Amino acid sequence: MNRQSMRSFALTGVVLVLIIPTVIAGGLLERRYVARAFAAAEDLRIARTTAFSALRFQLDEETGIRGYAATHDRVFLQPYTEALAAMGPTLEQISDQVTKLHTGGGPLVSDAAATNATWLRTVARPLLDPRTANLNAVERRGKTLVDHFRLDIAQLDDLSRRRQTEVDVEAQSAIDRIVLLMLGTAIVIVLIAAAAGFQQSRLAARLEDQRLRAEADERSNLQLRAAYQTEKRIADTLQGAFVQRPLPSHTTLRFSATYVPASEESKVGGDWYDAVELPEQRVLFSLGDVEGHGIEAAVTMNRTRQALISAALIELDPAAVLARVNDELLTDEARMVTAVVGYADATSYEFVYATAGHPPPVLLEPGRAARLLVCGGLPLGITPDAVYTVRRVQSVPGALLVLYTDGAVEHSRDVLDGESVLLAAIAAAAAEQPVADLAAKIHEGIFAGRPVGDDVAILTIGFGIGDLGRRSGGAVAKRVA
Amino acid sequence: MNPAPTIGVIALSGELDIGRRAEMQEALRLPAAHGAMLIDLSAVVYADSSILAELLRFRAEADRRQVRLALLITSRQLSRLVEYAGLSEAFAIFDARGAALSYLGETPA
Repeated sequence: MNRQSMRSFALTGVVLVLIIPTVIAGGLLERRYVARAFAAAEDLRIARTTAFSALRFQLDEETGIRGYAATHDRVFLQPYTEALAAMGPTLEQISDQVTKLHTGGGPLVSDAAATNATWLRTVARPLLDPRTANLNAVERRGKTLVDHFRLDIAQLDDLSRRRQTEVDVEAQSAIDRIVLLMLGTAIVIVLIAAAAGFQQSRLAARLEDQRLRAEADERSNLQLRAAYQTEKRIADTLQGAFVQRPLPSHTTLRFSATYVPASEESKVGGDWYDAVELPEQRVLFSLGDVEGHGIEAAVTMNRTRQALISAALIELDPAAVLARVNDELLTDEARMVTAVVGYADATSYEFVYATAGHPPPVLLEPGRAARLLVCGGLPLGITPDAVYTVRRVQSVPGALLVLYTDGAVEHSRDVLDGESVLLAAIAAAAAEQPVADLAAKIHEGIFAGRPVGDDVAILTIGFGIGDLGRRSGGAVAKRVA
Repeated sequence: MNPAPTIGVIALSGELDIGRRAEMQEALRLPAAHGAMLIDLSAVVYADSSILAELLRFRAEADRRQVRLALLITSRQLSRLVEYAGLSEAFAIFDARGAALSYLGETPA
């Protein structure tokens, strides 16, 4: 769960924690209002019933007394006596009820009780007395008092009815409030649920989105990796095929070569080396480096090698070979290429070479320190006015010429230091007996197991010492510009 | 007699390797206004062959527009690299700024 959904979850929790007790408290309160209103309504109903009982008892009293007065039949006295006995407690009951229910009821009950008492004293008793004269006057007073009593009870009932209406309204509004509260709660809960649902769906959508993106990333990574691996395989195949052309076996000349690609997987270089036997005891050698890496570099490398061999079949001069290759590479947007190309002459012990923007060859002769030869000339494929110069080195039997790509001297970021390391590695490798895999030993000597940052190709060409006697004094190297 | 050309200066510094190729390409663009350009590499502490290709491309462009160039190189290391590449055949290379500027100033545009 992320931070945002944690927050909305907490918010929902807080809202619920606030709402639920409020709703419960409000509900209980309203329930009490409603219950009280119902109780009051019941009391009022009882009070009204009781008030009507009082009216009935009063009617029984009056009817009984008037019947007796008219007939002197004592039968009529029975309802009178019963009503008389019930009237007192009924009025007390009414009094209790109305004082509890509403103000203003008490005086009416007292007045009714007093009126009833007056009626008993001034109407009922005289009518029961056979000596009473002027019955009409007594009966008139009786009617007035009875009307008064009835009015009191009617007013009381009116109060009760009005009070009942109020209580009904109170109960109704309490019920309304409960309904509203429930409705409000329901709405809030629905809103919270909707918000939570929305949040949840947004979260789910985002998670889904992330998942899809991760999948897409993964797919494109796989595609890139696959594409890259395909390119690397093609480039490796191209380069492997080119580099692994077998070195000539020659009676006098000894060759060794190594190609070590950069340790980093992403680099496929454009380095190559070649040694091809030509007529008249000459062996063409070439070594070079196409700027950059990958398939394009490998393709340019192939073109350059083919062009070199084609040109070497026509031109004897390595400088002229380079000039032809330069022209060939300039026909389209080729990459920059540096190269050294030349011949080793097995009869004259001469190295003839030319360089194009390439690090200098190293010459190691018996009894002398390894040394860098002259180099120069612009790289190939840059400008049509590049001029290349042939260099001739008269050497001796046992001499070793070492060609290499810049990776062999640029590893330490200091070319001068790189050259010292290279010269030392060449001397050390050549001093070993027997001399085998010389180029690989030189590479080992330079890098000593350290990771190789750039491709390195090394080609060595040595004159055998089989016919040493023929040119014993010729240990002088000449540099011819 | 032509007036002395305005001399533009492009200075590169630090370690110039393949990783800064795009930066070199960006820096080595020929401005329109100058009849002569000095490429000041005196603050370069390391360079690999990437710089050679860029310098040569710059030179080709300068040739087309007849802009004279001079390189100022003071480090032995870089001099060696430039020597490998035969750049002395393509550029006037100096190890002092004054000499480079006076070369460009005296050269007819």
